[in-house]
Amino acid sequence: MTAWEKQASRRAIWFLLPALGMLAVFVAWPLIRAAWWSVTDADLLATDDAHWIGAENYSDLLRDPRFRHAFLNTALFAILIVPLQTLLAMVLALWVNRPEPAWRWLRTVFFLPVVVSLPVLAVVWTLLYQPEQAGETGLINRLTSVFGFADRAWLRDPSLALPALAAMSIWQGVGLQMMVFLAGLQGVSREQLEAAQLDGASAWQRLVHVVIPSLRNTIVFVVTVTTILAFRLFVQPYLMTRGGPDDRTLSLVQYMYETTFLNLELGRTCAAALLFLTWVGFLTWLQRTLFNEEKS
Amino acid sequence: MSGRRRDHITRWAEALLWSASVVVALLFLAPLLWTLIGSFRVEEAIFRLDAASLIDPRMWTIENYGDAWRRASLGPALAVSIGQVALIVAGGLLVNSLAAYAFARLQFRGSDALFAAVVMLIILPVEVIAVPMFFTARDLGLTGGLGPALAGLTLPFMAKAFNIYFLRQHFLNLPRQIEEAAVLDGARVWAQYWRIALPSIKPALATVVVLDVLTHWGDFLWPLLIGTREETRTVQIGLANLFTQPPVQWGDILACAVIATLPVLVMFRWLQRYIVATQVHTGIK
Repeated sequence: MTAWEKQASRRAIWFLLPALGMLAVFVAWPLIRAAWWSVTDADLLATDDAHWIGAENYSDLLRDPRFRHAFLNTALFAILIVPLQTLLAMVLALWVNRPEPAWRWLRTVFFLPVVVSLPVLAVVWTLLYQPEQAGETGLINRLTSVFGFADRAWLRDPSLALPALAAMSIWQGVGLQMMVFLAGLQGVSREQLEAAQLDGASAWQRLVHVVIPSLRNTIVFVVTVTTILAFRLFVQPYLMTRGGPDDRTLSLVQYMYETTFLNLELGRTCAAALLFLTWVGFLTWLQRTLFNEEKS
Repeated sequence: MSGRRRDHITRWAEALLWSASVVVALLFLAPLLWTLIGSFRVEEAIFRLDAASLIDPRMWTIENYGDAWRRASLGPALAVSIGQVALIVAGGLLVNSLAAYAFARLQFRGSDALFAAVVMLIILPVEVIAVPMFFTARDLGLTGGLGPALAGLTLPFMAKAFNIYFLRQHFLNLPRQIEEAAVLDGARVWAQYWRIALPSIKPALATVVVLDVLTHWGDFLWPLLIGTREETRTVQIGLANLFTQPPVQWGDILACAVIATLPVLVMFRWLQRYIVATQVHTGIK
């Protein structure tokens, strides 16, 4: 060890202490407490008076139809937005991936909703989805009526509410994923594209055989990030539908929020949180595996 | 001859592509344009888009802004939101870059294991631990009045595993010689970090700032849990209250939505540029 290294090691503790201290207090400690509460009968008003009840919270959760609804709704939301948003983002990226600076304004347009906060957009879209009411019709019903569709209460119709939230979420997030794809497209080999063109490959063939294979890691990344984001769904149902109609848009996070603050069942919330965390961990592991495959 | 014809076709295709782009762009922007227009309309005209009502000056107003400002107490709410984001960004820059520098340069036995533990926290969504985190914040007295609530809104989010990881990468990429030369000159570790390493990774620091601003300006669940009192409400919570508590005035709500967006819109160019940089550095490589 050189003198520099010795001095450096002694300093390391002071460099690490603020950040690691905060992570310990605000992240690690709550996690440990959540793990403990998840096997106790802790409730919101008496967290210190918690008694060991084993896996009861977990088995209650799995039996609770509302938890099953919340999980299935959130999973359905993910199934709706992940493929659609990824595909749309890729199409938009290919569309605006042109060198002329004029195309930059189009990129900006698609990116704009990303910087507007989610609560703002949730409120605005509630008005957009409004059905005809005393002569006032939301923009979306006006648009669909042009094509001859009947007026619909998008957010109050049990079979339409979740897809309506998904549509709004895709519109909000697609610009960010488009940017990721644009970055990925810079990595597509120009020589390979030119070689394919010389071999007489059509634009479609070049896309399928050259562009998409080299975007593999970008696609895996976008799919994973969008899936995890989809499972964090909270603001849209909280503000736009309150989880209704008939719990059809109740999300996992919303379930946890309600179980804590309306039913005061802290133990059960913590059990849900741990299951949620396991699920996110699994998704990340899946992404890693798919990434590694590429390297070998 | 055939060449000229192909030029002709290309020009037509280009015109078509452009018109399609303009139509799609307008459709895409419609929700935001409608919000902006609606915020300047009198209540009964917000859902009316006919030409007659659009040119009628009596259908336009700026009163929604004054009403929204008063009803959602947007003055204090903006102060809380801006204060919240500024504190998270400033505090976060300091603590995360310090830790990142230590992990990159001040190796000691066990530091790799410690770093691996930090990396594991990256995927942890805040929604998962929001409820237990709320109890920790409450036990520490970080709820209640303005000061404690502002601490409660910010302290838990300053240290961020991802930012530590991201900044460490950039510190590792710096050539080592600069720093060791500095030691021979008698400079200390702190000075190396503060005067040499930190200024060398300014673009990475900007990226972290942008990500934090974007994330925390839109924070909803946490302020909902912790900032419930009138004087500790953020802009987003103020908007949600206007939206849910009668009497519901669409004009005020839309004006509030515009006001809640302006602060981030000012930073737009910057946000767009640096967010791409992050995605490229972290996700794909």
